[in-house]
Amino acid sequence: MKNIIRLVIKDIMRFINDKPAMVLTFIVPILLIIIFGNIFGGSGGPRGKSNLILVNESNSIVARLIEAKLDSSKSLKPVKTYISENGSDTLKYNEEIAKEWVRTGKMPAAIIMDKNFFADTSSTLKFKFYYDPKNEIESNIIQGNVQQTIFTQIPRVFPVLAQRNAAKFLGNDSTELFIKGVGKIIGKYFGVQADSFINQATKIDTAKLFSSSSDTSTENRFVSNLVKFESEQLVGKKITNPGLTRTVGGWAMMFLLFSLTGAATSLFEEKQEGTLKRLLCMPITRTEILWSKYIYTISLGVFQLLVLFIFSWAFFGVEIFSNFLNLLIVIFSSAAAAVSFGMLITSITKTFNQANGVSTLLILVMSAVGGSWFPTSFLPDWMQVISKGTLTYWSVEAFIQVLWRHASFSGIAMHVAVLLIIAILINSYALMRFKRGVI
Amino acid sequence: MLRIDHIVKHFENLTALNNVSININKGEFFGLLGPNGAGKSTLMNIIIGYLESDSGKILYGDEHVSKNNLALRKKFGYVPQEISLYLELSAYQNLKIFGQLFNLQGKALENKIDEVLLLVQLTDRKKDPVKDFSGGMKRRLNLAASLLHDPEILLCDEPTVGVDPQSRNAIFDMLLQLNKSGKTIVYTTHYMEEAERLCSRLAIIDHGNIIAEGTLIDLINLLNQRDTIKIQKTSATSSKISLIQEIGQLTEYDFYYEVIPNTGFERNSKIFSKLEQIGIPNVFIQISRANLEDVFLNMTGRSLRD
Repeated sequence: MKNIIRLVIKDIMRFINDKPAMVLTFIVPILLIIIFGNIFGGSGGPRGKSNLILVNESNSIVARLIEAKLDSSKSLKPVKTYISENGSDTLKYNEEIAKEWVRTGKMPAAIIMDKNFFADTSSTLKFKFYYDPKNEIESNIIQGNVQQTIFTQIPRVFPVLAQRNAAKFLGNDSTELFIKGVGKIIGKYFGVQADSFINQATKIDTAKLFSSSSDTSTENRFVSNLVKFESEQLVGKKITNPGLTRTVGGWAMMFLLFSLTGAATSLFEEKQEGTLKRLLCMPITRTEILWSKYIYTISLGVFQLLVLFIFSWAFFGVEIFSNFLNLLIVIFSSAAAAVSFGMLITSITKTFNQANGVSTLLILVMSAVGGSWFPTSFLPDWMQVISKGTLTYWSVEAFIQVLWRHASFSGIAMHVAVLLIIAILINSYALMRFKRGVI
Repeated sequence: MLRIDHIVKHFENLTALNNVSININKGEFFGLLGPNGAGKSTLMNIIIGYLESDSGKILYGDEHVSKNNLALRKKFGYVPQEISLYLELSAYQNLKIFGQLFNLQGKALENKIDEVLLLVQLTDRKKDPVKDFSGGMKRRLNLAASLLHDPEILLCDEPTVGVDPQSRNAIFDMLLQLNKSGKTIVYTTHYMEEAERLCSRLAIIDHGNIIAEGTLIDLINLLNQRDTIKIQKTSATSSKISLIQEIGQLTEYDFYYEVIPNTGFERNSKIFSKLEQIGIPNVFIQISRANLEDVFLNMTGRSLRD
């Protein structure tokens, strides 16, 4: 038994002295728990609200009521204005602009209450809902929340809508007589005042509307016949395999980071094996060695992604050829950024094991925060800010633009620019360190 | 030919090389002998341009050796201490890659590959992956990879570490053959036997300082020490040992007696003749000569393996 204990102590001592193992065993899981906890557990800060364009062109009280309820929603963040292209004016969205923003991926959804939403003679409430299900879960959540908000408020205007429906079939005079007749009967048999019932049925009590929150399922069943909720998917309707098309970019980026970081940190292996020293004794420069590693690794990354996308096309119908040139641009810039990440890891760590631990930690965190695993809109606001600092975010968004939205180059220009700037800056730094002989 | 002039190198608080100066002549087999951590590999790394010294200079002929002097690297061949080969590739593929990086190509490269493989006796294993080679074969290929561009000077940094005696002898023979063909060889080792066997001239290095330099004879003469005589302890020798004091100073050990000869007994023949006269047969006698180990011990107070 003593020997077993001694051997256990030996393994514990080795583990304590193996920092990369410590990082992978404790730090990585803790960070992932923090991220998942924030998304699913609601701890660590408020969960981010989903953006939603709200266009309210109606002057009706009902529209104002719904707008107010959407404004106070805990899960939705209605956005009503935008900054003009020259950056000087704040403009209100209209329906066309809202559609364009959803179509181009600037916003996930828009709810429209136009001028005819609740005109004087309307017997139904007409909502238009435009959405882009690039993140299916997020899209469903938004749609569900919007409908819930609307349907829980509608019962207050139900009597008015019912009266208008009756008027449509009976005519105004007959309807008035009908309501008065019903009021008298109810007053007689249920002990309520007829005038009170008639007022409730024909007039909207604004104060009551904005303060009450009661609802019943019976009311909802009536209401559903009186509300028209016209939703339209603006993007991705013709895509054969929407699920995979939306997620393939995220997974591709994560595996790209793993493989290319491994390839970049192989400089450590070469150093350890002595082959790097042999190369450095030959009539070649350090810069040439680093460039060769860079070109090889980018080529590997581009080839890896091409294989992955072609496989997705061949076996799962992911459409890649209709926007192939832009896909190639995103693949190249993602590979360049991923390699630069590997070079950065190589330049800031001292051994292969250290590089391995640090890169695994950062790749998993970047994948979780950057949108490889789930939409970034699920993250708390502060984490969404961090998300934009990861190259995973820009790559995943660029893949979605190309594959899901079939965006033109202008639609991916900013993403590509960010990825290439990251690549250039980091590689310049790595090259400087390598030339100095630090690596 | 190769002039190492007042080289100083520090690693943080450690002085790896302290004002080291050595001249190596064309065609020499020059040895750098010292224990582990003495500064041999650091000096080698500076000579090949892998490291830069803090001060001092190295000249090859009239040319400065530096990290940026790429042209000079064609004149140097470096045999690293590590097996610096791509293990998953074949011997041929390794040599082809390294040859191409020295701008060899086509028929000239193919001929050179065949030539060096023949020299290191690996022609029949040309197509095999290096990972399948024995330790000795890897060492030989490591040497071959440094000879492709026909360097003027070969820098060997402990090239026989971890090699079996047979392969070690084969490597020695190859190096001696190369030296005989006109190549200058600089050889670092902590094995005294290797230095004694191979090197025409030596420098002993310890804690970054060159403590002695010269031929093997020069260095041993520094000791001013004669050969010692060891006499096995038996009943036949023990009874007559008191008579030996005439020959020299006697020290008794557990299993033998050691005698350091007095003046007048410098020649071994005279010692043997006297011992025979006393009645101690030659079969119990061993003459030990001073070696580099003794030189190192004498100069540093430590063994080479400490």
